[in-house]
Amino acid sequence: MLRFWPVWVLLLGGLFYWGMQRPNPTELKSVLVGKAAPSFSLPLLEPYRAQYGAEMGIREGLNKPVLLNIWASWCVPCRTEAPLLERFHRQYKDRVLILGVNVQDSQAEALRFIRQYGLTFPSVYDERGRIGIEYGYYGVPETFIINRNGIVLHRHTGELNEAQLQGYIERVLQ
Amino acid sequence: MRRPNSRWALGWFRPSRLLAAGYCLLALALAQPNPSTPPPDFSPRVFEIARALRCPVCQGESAAESNAGIAVEMRRIIAEQLAQGKTEAEIRQFFVERYGDWILYEPPARGLTLLIWLSPLVGLGLLGFGLWRYLAQVKARAQVVSDVSEGEIARLEAELESPERQP
Repeated sequence: MLRFWPVWVLLLGGLFYWGMQRPNPTELKSVLVGKAAPSFSLPLLEPYRAQYGAEMGIREGLNKPVLLNIWASWCVPCRTEAPLLERFHRQYKDRVLILGVNVQDSQAEALRFIRQYGLTFPSVYDERGRIGIEYGYYGVPETFIINRNGIVLHRHTGELNEAQLQGYIERVLQ
Repeated sequence: MRRPNSRWALGWFRPSRLLAAGYCLLALALAQPNPSTPPPDFSPRVFEIARALRCPVCQGESAAESNAGIAVEMRRIIAEQLAQGKTEAEIRQFFVERYGDWILYEPPARGLTLLIWLSPLVGLGLLGFGLWRYLAQVKARAQVVSDVSEGEIARLEAELESPERQP
């Protein structure tokens, strides 16, 4: 067996190299990618009811790309992300729906967060995070990119930066 | 300062009062929940199923052990689905459809996972093969030694016993 040591070295080295080739170790690919986004309807947080109605969610026939952003007021990266999402919402609101899902939070804290950052994109309230589990979420913030046919294209875990958000918007608008 | 009344103090140690105090202590001890007993809101069956599922936001904790909001919600989903009459396999499948096999502490033996499951067997096989090769070599060497003729052995013994080699 020892006569074949170069083969063993090459085999183990190859295995090590293959293991190190994962493009982004923090990326968690969703099992929903390529599948229809789970539909749901949840109560909107109070500031959005006058404009969007009592409930909102993902449903068939929406015919608009959606960036589903799962957030909570206690989440620090959500604080950096919120103004960016708001800016993109103002810019693309006619063509892309940015929909927030506030999870595992108190409504009072969520409303304070919305007022603090002046968020005008709609957010629904999911106290227990049930919809988060339907989407297989790991934590907040997490963003699901859904095309106009309701198919999940990508799951972004963690905070979004401007370039990433721009890239996702361009992808769903293609 | 008032001196303690010895009759009053002795009164406390009456057998009936001691017995009552003993009952109180026993009742308190029995009222303490067993640390391994799950909280009363979910049945032990819920925790049994949750123990096989990872808590998505925790490090090395199952959905049964963690108190993170998502783990609590997972337990609630399990309880609801048990109440609907779903089997353990169906409940596990519900989470696999949303999180993939990653959510299971014991991933199913298929695809790349099958290789990992089989790796101990492959390791044992390789070890057995190495041992077999080694023992075969030892046996071959012993065979070479036993191939020496009787005459040659007698000559060598005579040489070793010759007076020139005696001290």
